[in-house]
Amino acid sequence: MAKRYFLSSWLSIGLLGTGAWTAAQDDPAQIRVNVNLVQLNVAVTDAKGNYVTGLRPQDFIVTEDRIPEKVATFEEGIEPARDLADANPPVGEIAAENTGQAGGQAPADPPLQPSVSRYSDASVFILFDTSNYMYRGFVFAQDAIAGFVRSLQTASKVAFYSYSRDLSRVAPLTTDRTQVLQGVRSTVAGDDAALYNCLLMTVKDAARITGRKVIVVFSNGPDNASLVPPEDVAELAQSTGTIIYMVSTQEAQLEPISTAVFERMSKATGGKAYFAKSWRDETKAFASIRDDLAHLYSLSYYPQPNSNRGWRTITVRLVGKDLQKYHLRTRDGYRLQQTKASE
Amino acid sequence: MPALARNVEVLGYQVGQRTEYLLLLERYVNQARELQALAGPGNEIRVARCEDAGPLLQVLGYHLRNGCGQKDASLAALDPESAFLTIDSGFPLTRLEQALISNTPFSYPYVPSQVPVLFAASDWTNMNRARKQGSPDLLDAFLRDPHVARLYWALSRIDPETRNDLQRSVGLWNLLSYAGVLDFYGTQICIRSGKVLVPGGTAAEPAWKDLVGASPESPGEFVTHLLSQDRGWLAAYFDTLARVSQTQQAHYTQGSRLRDLYEAFREPDPNASAAGASFRKAPSLLVLFTRQQWLPNGEPRIPGSPDAWKQIAGKHTRHLNHPEQVLEAMVSFSRLDMESGPLQIYLTLSEVDGKRPPQRGLSPETMLLMARAYADFGSWYPIFSEFPELTDASITRFINVAGTLDRTSNQQLRGNALGIFQANLGLWQILARQGEIPKDQLDSSWQRIIDPFDKVSSPAQLFDGGYKSLGELMLAATGKANRSQDEIIDLLAGPPQKGPQGEKIRNEVAGKMRLVIDDQRLTPLDTLWELSDGMKAMEHGAPASKNLIALAGELREFEMPRPIFTEGEKDQWAPGVFSQRHAELQVRTDLAKVIEQPTTPAKLEAARGQIAPFLRDTLVGLNYAYYEPPGSQILHINPLFVRSHDFSGETVQGEEHLWQPSTLFGIGAPAGGGAYLVGSLADLPYVLAASEQDFISPENVQALIWQELVPDVLAGATVTRWWSVSPHEMHAVALYQQFGEELLTVSVGNPQLRQKVISILSDRMSPQRAEQLEQALQSKNVKSELARLMPADTFYLAAEFRQRFPQEAASWGTSGEALDKLSRQYSAEVSLEHISKDFGIPHPALAQNYGRELLNVKPFPAFSGYFSRLFGESWDSSNLYWARLADEKSVSPVTLNVLSPQLTRLMISKIFASDFEDWPAVVRAMHEAGDDFLQGKVALQAGMQTTAQR
Repeated sequence: MAKRYFLSSWLSIGLLGTGAWTAAQDDPAQIRVNVNLVQLNVAVTDAKGNYVTGLRPQDFIVTEDRIPEKVATFEEGIEPARDLADANPPVGEIAAENTGQAGGQAPADPPLQPSVSRYSDASVFILFDTSNYMYRGFVFAQDAIAGFVRSLQTASKVAFYSYSRDLSRVAPLTTDRTQVLQGVRSTVAGDDAALYNCLLMTVKDAARITGRKVIVVFSNGPDNASLVPPEDVAELAQSTGTIIYMVSTQEAQLEPISTAVFERMSKATGGKAYFAKSWRDETKAFASIRDDLAHLYSLSYYPQPNSNRGWRTITVRLVGKDLQKYHLRTRDGYRLQQTKASE
Repeated sequence: MPALARNVEVLGYQVGQRTEYLLLLERYVNQARELQALAGPGNEIRVARCEDAGPLLQVLGYHLRNGCGQKDASLAALDPESAFLTIDSGFPLTRLEQALISNTPFSYPYVPSQVPVLFAASDWTNMNRARKQGSPDLLDAFLRDPHVARLYWALSRIDPETRNDLQRSVGLWNLLSYAGVLDFYGTQICIRSGKVLVPGGTAAEPAWKDLVGASPESPGEFVTHLLSQDRGWLAAYFDTLARVSQTQQAHYTQGSRLRDLYEAFREPDPNASAAGASFRKAPSLLVLFTRQQWLPNGEPRIPGSPDAWKQIAGKHTRHLNHPEQVLEAMVSFSRLDMESGPLQIYLTLSEVDGKRPPQRGLSPETMLLMARAYADFGSWYPIFSEFPELTDASITRFINVAGTLDRTSNQQLRGNALGIFQANLGLWQILARQGEIPKDQLDSSWQRIIDPFDKVSSPAQLFDGGYKSLGELMLAATGKANRSQDEIIDLLAGPPQKGPQGEKIRNEVAGKMRLVIDDQRLTPLDTLWELSDGMKAMEHGAPASKNLIALAGELREFEMPRPIFTEGEKDQWAPGVFSQRHAELQVRTDLAKVIEQPTTPAKLEAARGQIAPFLRDTLVGLNYAYYEPPGSQILHINPLFVRSHDFSGETVQGEEHLWQPSTLFGIGAPAGGGAYLVGSLADLPYVLAASEQDFISPENVQALIWQELVPDVLAGATVTRWWSVSPHEMHAVALYQQFGEELLTVSVGNPQLRQKVISILSDRMSPQRAEQLEQALQSKNVKSELARLMPADTFYLAAEFRQRFPQEAASWGTSGEALDKLSRQYSAEVSLEHISKDFGIPHPALAQNYGRELLNVKPFPAFSGYFSRLFGESWDSSNLYWARLADEKSVSPVTLNVLSPQLTRLMISKIFASDFEDWPAVVRAMHEAGDDFLQGKVALQAGMQTTAQR
């Protein structure tokens, strides 16, 4: 019997058709989201690390498994998104989205077009390590997070979670900074550290959110209680278009495993890892994250018909000789998945 | 104060040294005193202007950055030790910060709270002073002297009348020497009207007097003797007996049995201390005393004959000529920390034998075989308790074939064989439990699914054996051997339903199972069958078809997760972790290459054997999927979880008991590829629940998942299915609980009824709890007490009351009347036996059985190791409560198949417990989850409808 795949995946991303969301609401324990749009957040920097602004949609070439894709929407920084003509979803994919298998009928409703408000802000999930590993520097890390929350002007909503062995959703996604700050100050340190378990659940929460979303992890590293490996979490973050930033101290660099994961996982999702001298010295990291949020280009596309049901590699390049000197940072692919259980 | 005293004793010292916890606690108290001084007589901390905040900030360990009244000002830690305490104590730092930024006044009431203290504070501080610790304050007395703290904690859990009597008759100073014994074994001591209430009641008082050396009528002397004798073992014995039902107590206190059993209990090592460790000792004595069965003539019912036990116990025992002596020997064994000793065998065989009709007891040969193989296969014996239809021949067949497979020398083949064999047994167990295999075919089908594994010596034979075995299972369940994977999943989801609502729920359960199979990216059984058939045909000369090559290609569709570490890093950072070997072999399997090229039948057969690992994974995956805990994550995110299950111990060193329940390996090893299970599929519901429990997020800040309880509660929710429950039965369950509440309410104004009620409930609660309840009823404070009672308590009260006082049952309230009517109309459907089977939970640790049962035991205390599960297994209220809610909301019983796991998970997320035995916290969490449901905050999932909506 041929293996049956559903052309569905984690919300990859900024746009979700209402139909897809309704389907998810039928079963709160599950998120069933079809791939109707892939969104990429792309940082473009020069040799000195300065952000390059003013690029146009036609300056970008996007391929998925070497198949050229048409950019459907384009947005720079916190500006409103622009819908681009002639970039409707390929018929086969739409059909699949609606019938659950390849080659079905055309959709009853057209895909939802993005509204300006959906694109013009980001949701920031802060994940704070409150395990025993943070005991000594705990209060300084807490100060650092409070400082970060205060400094976030571009993100419309902030959620604050903490973790040790278990995840605590201290403050849900909100525009109320005071609520978040109170949440930050209510955390206490103790117990084992299950970073990847808890990051997984944070990624899943972020996956429910439309628009640009990022997770900022404050951790000194070691994980002694997770059951899921970081590669699974990284894949999911990539597949859901969630950017992960890791904010840490040089203390974490004493432990090579965490350093490697922090750097590679953040890079794979289009984010960055920062290792300041101490928790009191994270200004640079915060500024960098804020800059990222303000300067990322958001591109989206409807995938062209693609028989690959596994990992799909995304390549983004700039067009033209003059632009080749710039560096691009974005996720490098996603996995087409069936359905996923969720919190 | 009790919780503080407990924490000082448990967490404050390690090997006599003060811990970081205690240092923190002391600093915490000091900071509180400094803040109290700042608050002054007005009991309020006030900062009129930002510039005046210095003294407060100094105590708090913070300073203000960027100056008063500045928009970008913020508080930052200056003294990390003080700042940590500030945060930990919940000081409103954010509010203070805002006041300082806006330069507005800040005030914070800092009122000392009066807390109740046992006796007078001076009783404790004087004792502390006498021990040269010199503390003028009660807090300091605890912080400086863990013995005093432990005595306080111990006495706080004894009912007021008893502890007041003890203070008078023994004195705190004298009790201090026995603080440890009193802490572990004192909660069941109960003094009423100047007399110690002993297990066995008045009739047993002479025996206790003889054993203890003091009369129960002299409480001070009796308790002193009890605590001091044999380094606490007599107290442990008394405590254990006090925890079992009154019926059991009567047996143990008959004739000389009380003394004989105690002599056996104290014998192994009288010099060891019963209170010298972190947990109570001899947990298996409580299991034995709870579960021991009796013959009508009053003798202990033992499985088999004393002769058989002579052989089983071997050199460990001397005189075993009578059942009494066998029981004494088992009591003696309870002192030894053994996982598979004679007592464990006795407990298991007692359950297996006890479930059978008398004429079909275990034969001596079978008993000996089971005993000899216990260390290897004992974890699988509960299946024989659950299904007494399985004969001695079935048991023998299982042990022999399991032994043969276990001796397979090729490790890879062995692992795959154990996996396929156990997975098929697991599927049999599911279908048998759901009543999908006719009762008269249970025994024969069991043997028929085992037989194909008898002579497996190659991977191809294993594949064929697994295929045949599954076919036999399908034949028994459906009358047809060949079933597609979809059909098998539908069958596992539940028996076919007559109504549309039932079918919807069944489809939903099946859908959830399919999600697991899909997310684990397991190869469909249909693909494997077709591939094998095609290759077999080729062995007989048929040409390779395109379809066959395409099917072979499907095996290669599985991709390993994208690596984050290099191979070198994995070797360095996760040395010795080989959990992915099985999956990596599969990725390298290329059957298309063999099929496409000219080859020999022998090579084709060998190639066909390469499908066996895929078969193992899918069959094992079906078991995992069936027992998926609510809210599971690993099963959906880590596609290697099922594949990595290590049945043969090839990924770990020194793992010998591979037929025992699996153990999680690879936790907290980021470079190891994720956690995985090593061991067998026995006890899978519990193992999966334990694996997934920490993915439930506690709702309360600082709460953590309660690992001593949660896996059992989750397993209870995944094993329980509601397909055979009728609306009448569910309604009866609700009525039982309501009638129990009615009895309690009416007993407020009726002392005689109250006496009956308390007498019944004393079988389910400690003396302290019973006294609390009695006082609450006397003071007409019934509402708050009802909120603290477990649904199993009210259910038991109603059931027992109806049995003891059948004439009165209908006269105390409308629920009792309705229950009577319902019982008359549908006597079989709403019988206690029926309800127990449908609404109980499995008790693999307590009753060696995965069958569901309501056992009606007191909440068990916390033990260490395997016996910690007794604690969780004594919680049997969830199913009863969810059923009551469903009945009140007119939701159909089948809906509970999806609703119950959902509510259980919600309940767990709400548990906010202060200590190990904080049962009220669990009740509270359950009620909160129920309230959410009643208020419509818990969405009925797709396919669900209330009765009114249908």
